[in-house]
Amino acid sequence: MRFVVFVKQVPDTSSVGTDENGNLMREGVPSILNPYCEFALDMACRVKGEGDIISVVTMGPPQAESALFRCLELGADEAFLLTDRAFAGADVYATAKTLSAFLKKFIPDHDLLFCGRQAMDGDTAQVPAELASMMGCGQFYYTEDLVFSDGWKAVQNYYDEERECALKKGDLISVSKGETDPRLPSVADYIRASGTEIKKLDRVDIGLGTFSVGLKGSKTRITSSRPVSISRRGILTDGGDPTEAAKHIKGMVR
Amino acid sequence: MLQQYDLGTSTADGLMVWLEISERDPVSFEPSSMEILSKAREIYDGRIFGVVFGDTELKPLYKEAFSYGADTLYHVKDKRLIDFHPEAYCESLRSIAERINPSIILMSATLRGREVAPRLAASLGAGLTADCTELSMDGSVLQMTRPAFGGDLMATITSESMPQMATVRPGTFPPNKISDDATGTVIYWQYKGDSFKTIISSKRKYHDEKDITEADILISLGNGIKSKDTIRLAESVAKKLGGMVSCSRALVEKGWFPQSRQVGQSGRNVSPEIYLAFGISGSVQHKAGIMTARRVIAVNSDPDAPIREIADELIVGDAENILRELDKIL
Repeated sequence: MRFVVFVKQVPDTSSVGTDENGNLMREGVPSILNPYCEFALDMACRVKGEGDIISVVTMGPPQAESALFRCLELGADEAFLLTDRAFAGADVYATAKTLSAFLKKFIPDHDLLFCGRQAMDGDTAQVPAELASMMGCGQFYYTEDLVFSDGWKAVQNYYDEERECALKKGDLISVSKGETDPRLPSVADYIRASGTEIKKLDRVDIGLGTFSVGLKGSKTRITSSRPVSISRRGILTDGGDPTEAAKHIKGMVR
Repeated sequence: MLQQYDLGTSTADGLMVWLEISERDPVSFEPSSMEILSKAREIYDGRIFGVVFGDTELKPLYKEAFSYGADTLYHVKDKRLIDFHPEAYCESLRSIAERINPSIILMSATLRGREVAPRLAASLGAGLTADCTELSMDGSVLQMTRPAFGGDLMATITSESMPQMATVRPGTFPPNKISDDATGTVIYWQYKGDSFKTIISSKRKYHDEKDITEADILISLGNGIKSKDTIRLAESVAKKLGGMVSCSRALVEKGWFPQSRQVGQSGRNVSPEIYLAFGISGSVQHKAGIMTARRVIAVNSDPDAPIREIADELIVGDAENILRELDKIL
């Protein structure tokens, strides 16, 4: 079996500070492997059998190598970094296009594709479906579990409905659940990861033109942005006596 | 035959909305679908097309779709499409879009909407903006605004090509009926493909329970709540106020709540009339999820808790005691 896991490196928003204008300070923020991508990798590792190969792929700047290294420590067998200056500024469409072109050229014979539900920084949850669409494969969003009995089956949770669906070869799973405590790799994992070369590929390797990738290949443009102005006043009230505070709240909600 | 080249002046016209069905028996629309129709009517002058999936059970809903502003309703009539098949839904929407050539396609940023929209966008080669909280027209250009960078910035995004696509955050726009006796055209559409999933088993959950995104009042609990018994108090208060109980990520991780109750970027984005946050410190992700709430009142023992930045009022005090008192006097 050949499993491919698509991952993303994101700023660790839990340690992001804000400047005097209340904007996020993204400089100097440590980068981490997106938690949902880690869930996806964990799921692939869990179902991996003897002789199966897990490939991880990310598109990003050269620094994204560290996210791939973490994946190797966690159990991936090989890692691909799609990196090129021309990839910068890619929206969902250009990203999915780059990933699908890579997949068609380098790992055409794959059994299952794994993505995390969403990235903590972009939060669109759109790449998995656009990728599935471009690959022409089935998509299984909000997957919480993957079981093998008479073929692969995905357990999907739509909150109002939980269902189990059969997977076909080449289908894509978007994983929404996993262990929230980060796993600590062992020394053996670290050594194995250190000995694995991360394969770097650029636009030409993948075989895409400059107008297919990055900002030029994007279908959307950010035309303006403004700081959030929330007209809430943040009045501070001393709720010293719980009874008084409760009455105060009652007055506001009734 | 001469090929017609599109030189940037698109002939695309019309606005297409996938109208999601939340219940089949009795049948009802997902409320956010009506919110989108209302907003579409407000900002868009051209024709508005609704698309629904299902069988004859949908007939009672036609009138409702027209009363909220749809001019034409495409009914993809197929018993098999009562179940959610994102691939088949996408192919149907695509074939309808190719027929009507709309300049805009909108759907709700519900779990299913956020799954179908990107698949459709990629197959149409269209740009897509997720989870918009503001929409406006600048000529024929749709201006789509959404929170970005963890909710600290509002980014306005436009599409480079037609159709322009967006998903819209539920609860953002008020639903407005234009008229109770509005009428329109229903067109039956046939899905000719066979992209059906093999659904082995399916069970509807929380059937009688509303979704937290639909609640007018949310009593939300966070990490400041140390005793699990407080959940019962919160449930009781919520019941008396006609609201629901939600929570922050911390309590989902503790296993006290299912993820469906989680407010925030990795949970649900909510827009209630009143959001009462008990013992929630206010992470960037949590704040992003309550940006569109009408009023936010927080109770926290720490006057410097970041939730204050997004709250109308921060009451400094013990969240559990105040909740207990509130339960007594309501």
